Amino acid sequence: MNNNLKKINIYAIYLGAIILILPLIAFFINAFSFRWFYPQVIPKELSLQAWVRLKLIPKPGQRTFEGFIELWASNPAVIKALLNSLSIGFLVTIVSIIIALPAARVLGLLNFRFKKLIIFIMVSPTILPPIAFVLGLNINFISWGFSGNYFGVCLVHLVPIMPYVVLTMTGIFANYNPDFEHQARTLGANKTRTFLLITLPAIAPGMVVAALFAFLVSWSQYLLTFLIGAGKVMTLPLLVFSTASSGNPALTAAISIIFIFPAILILFFTSKFVSGESGATSGFGKI
Amino acid sequence: MKIKLKFLTLTFISLFFSKLVFAETAPGFNSWDDVVKAADGGQVNVYMWGGSDAINGFVDDFYGVPLKEKYNITLNRVPLKGTVDAVNQVLSEKEAGVTGDNGNIDLIWINGENFWTLKQANLLYGPFAAGLPNSEFVAWDNPAVNLDFGRPVEGMESPWSSAQFHFMYDSARNNYDDMPRSYAELSNWIAENPGRFTYIRPGKGGFVGTRFVKQIFFELSGGHAQWVGPFNQELYDKWAPEVWKLLNSWEKDLWRGGETYPKDNAEMHSLFANGEVDLDFTQSPRGAGPTNTAGTTPPTSRAFAFYENMIGDFNYWAIPYNAPNKAAALVYANLVLEPELQAAQVQPANGFCCGWGISTAKVTDAAGKAAIAEAQNNLGDAAEDQDILAKALVSDIAAEYQDLIEADWEANVLLK
Amino acid sequence: MGGERLKIILSLTPPLLIIFTLFFGGIFYGFLQSLGYQPAIGKYEINFSAYYNVMFSERYAKLFWTGLGLNLWVSFASTFLAAVFALFGALAIRKTFFAKTICNFIYSLNLPMPHLVVAVGIIFVFSQSGLLARFASQIGLIGSPGDFPVLVKDKYGLGIILAYIWKEAAFFFIILMSVLQSLGENFEELAQSLGANRWQRFRYVILPLVMPNLFSASIIVFAFSFGAYEVPALLGVIYPQMLPVMAFEFFLNPDLNARSEGMALSIIIAIIVMILVVFYFWLTQAKIRKD
Repeated sequence: MNNNLKKINIYAIYLGAIILILPLIAFFINAFSFRWFYPQVIPKELSLQAWVRLKLIPKPGQRTFEGFIELWASNPAVIKALLNSLSIGFLVTIVSIIIALPAARVLGLLNFRFKKLIIFIMVSPTILPPIAFVLGLNINFISWGFSGNYFGVCLVHLVPIMPYVVLTMTGIFANYNPDFEHQARTLGANKTRTFLLITLPAIAPGMVVAALFAFLVSWSQYLLTFLIGAGKVMTLPLLVFSTASSGNPALTAAISIIFIFPAILILFFTSKFVSGESGATSGFGKI
Repeated sequence: MKIKLKFLTLTFISLFFSKLVFAETAPGFNSWDDVVKAADGGQVNVYMWGGSDAINGFVDDFYGVPLKEKYNITLNRVPLKGTVDAVNQVLSEKEAGVTGDNGNIDLIWINGENFWTLKQANLLYGPFAAGLPNSEFVAWDNPAVNLDFGRPVEGMESPWSSAQFHFMYDSARNNYDDMPRSYAELSNWIAENPGRFTYIRPGKGGFVGTRFVKQIFFELSGGHAQWVGPFNQELYDKWAPEVWKLLNSWEKDLWRGGETYPKDNAEMHSLFANGEVDLDFTQSPRGAGPTNTAGTTPPTSRAFAFYENMIGDFNYWAIPYNAPNKAAALVYANLVLEPELQAAQVQPANGFCCGWGISTAKVTDAAGKAAIAEAQNNLGDAAEDQDILAKALVSDIAAEYQDLIEADWEANVLLK
Repeated sequence: MGGERLKIILSLTPPLLIIFTLFFGGIFYGFLQSLGYQPAIGKYEINFSAYYNVMFSERYAKLFWTGLGLNLWVSFASTFLAAVFALFGALAIRKTFFAKTICNFIYSLNLPMPHLVVAVGIIFVFSQSGLLARFASQIGLIGSPGDFPVLVKDKYGLGIILAYIWKEAAFFFIILMSVLQSLGENFEELAQSLGANRWQRFRYVILPLVMPNLFSASIIVFAFSFGAYEVPALLGVIYPQMLPVMAFEFFLNPDLNARSEGMALSIIIAIIVMILVVFYFWLTQAKIRKD
């Protein structure tokens, strides 16, 4: 069978790729231009003003090493939001994996009554919209004192993340043979050593995928952070949303670039994991 | 000599007593020094409409820095899609029983209906405004300041700045002399320039659009005077159908045939800047200056006003009853009234779009006076003639009209 | 055996606790509030008036029913179109050609991209003064921005659909690629040697093989696009408005009574999603069994 495509199909693919990448091009032009209005295709004024406004690049004349350090040390809003997004993402990823690990093992390896029902309950947050639970949860969180703080935001991020982590890791354990553990134990390894030497290496690749989903779901969360954070926990999606409605395309584009950079980085380093495991990829649908 | 001494003693005693009697600068604080001391090293959570990145930048630069350096307070500015989000948050906290210093919000940039909602529900801290040292610069005897949309302020909010509705055009596309100067002229202009005008939807986040519609009421009914004072349902019912009739008559000649409307001024600026429409709204006494500086409108943009019925008002800072950092909030509310900072906020180069919150005549110290004089000279050519603006100035009207206009506009214009 | 049972219970408790207290607890409390039960403001009676108001009152009925129509249209259209585009992209791209790796990467690029950013990108490219309109004006196709078709912030939700296609096509694409790669070429070659033409190979060989994955992926995409807030909030018009945006606006209303309506609407959205997903599930299961 001919493995090569017809010319026209190849061109169609190239065209598709160009169209898909257009928004990205628009982001970069916008972020580095000033007064880039219709009908200019190429901006007349190139400028770093958006980055200066975001306090990521110092004003002209202060662009020395010390200037950058001093500016970044002054804790500009974007860096604060970036650190919040990163730390919340890491924290909930680790917590969700620790919580999901035993559950996934049980669901993957054992058969018991109500297993289907339990799986159904676990995945229900992927089907029902977040707006259905967060509006009601909001009042509860306020009265429990979880509203407007970091802890509350982390807690609520666990809800959309949990199903993916549990599902992905259940899939891993379904193909996992616990006999090796048994052998290690009979050979005298204690529980911790067995886990570190036998279990962990076997489930590590799948765990990486689960962790990435968890991180990305948390990374792009807007509504939950907005409501539960009560504006006090500022993350990048909140900043993107409010800037997008404040009418300065250059600023919006610059923040968006910061916002997508880690995501693309993750895709770049994990494309081999992701394309391999179709069950795992379902996590992306929710991001 | 003796008499003098006696007089001095008396003065001291009376001062002492007055300090006891009128002890509180603001509830919970005996003196301004107490306030500053209590605020030291803390944070202040400022919740404000974040739809203008020029204003956001101004607050961060001009208030964030002195707060940190002079008072050791960290500014946490929280951008909102509409002030009502903050009001809603306070209501939720009330509902959940959050009291004392356990709330989330320290300050809300506020006026009109939102202020009234909170004040009526006893959800504000105060009275505090008169206790601020810089309160001496505020024209408290002026009804435009001591009434907010016709409602008494009573020290529960402290002014920041002022604004006045008018329009922008692009001098590269249109001439100043051809601009309409009343709603009647605007109607003709729209008919002659189909597709080149739209207005902001009256509604959440679109108070500028509500203001645009309110002014039609004034013009059609023959003047603003009868609308001053308490809410008058009969008056409203008499003129509302006329207003909807006029707005519907424009529809076919509006941008996108009136199928949709911009949600806020930011969206409107973007339509204007990209040449999708020819007129834009501004609230700034400096006209197109702030947006020209920010680069969100073409540098050739200029301002013009109708000769009558251009609504102007003051806006304020209020402190919720459960604000976690009340002292820092007071320091902030006082800081924004510093004459030098007020002079900074009116200059177009600094990006902030609004006008004076203080009465410049009350400033007596040399530095403040110099700053004010310099600011007055720096109006910039993107502003409308200040006399035209002053002559057209009318006050905003009772808050009930706002809700009513927004709901009725939706039913009679948008959904029709 | 008792030990194992205890182990199962202990292992499952933490994640179930989170789902039950936060997720179902939130829904339950929202449901209570939608019935007008708000002890904080002294309302203890229970009624369905919020549901009635949202669906049938003079003020909101028109908004609700047009919004529901828009919701159905946007979710169906974007799920279907994203799946179709991804299918054709995947079928073409698995063959070898110049710069295949780069194209593969670009086609997957939107996968980790947050919806919010995709929405902003759609505005930059497709609005009446966006990048495409500027190209069109440069080559003389249009004069003023008004001549460019309305693709963003339009009343048919085209901008919202575009954003979902952008994002979800990548999701479908990745899933399809992994299925197709695991199948290899054998099936098709066999079919071809039996004399099947291109269309027949597609219809009777490839499609049935990828269908199960396509179906389960489309449930996720459909449910997500039906209940998501960010994209319609940025790309929608003020009328008609998608239901999640409408619900959130209710909730942000300072009038506490409007809260009940916001909660009622979000419960309605959840119920509709559930019904549609169950119906869809039933439909596709029947179809797969038939095939």
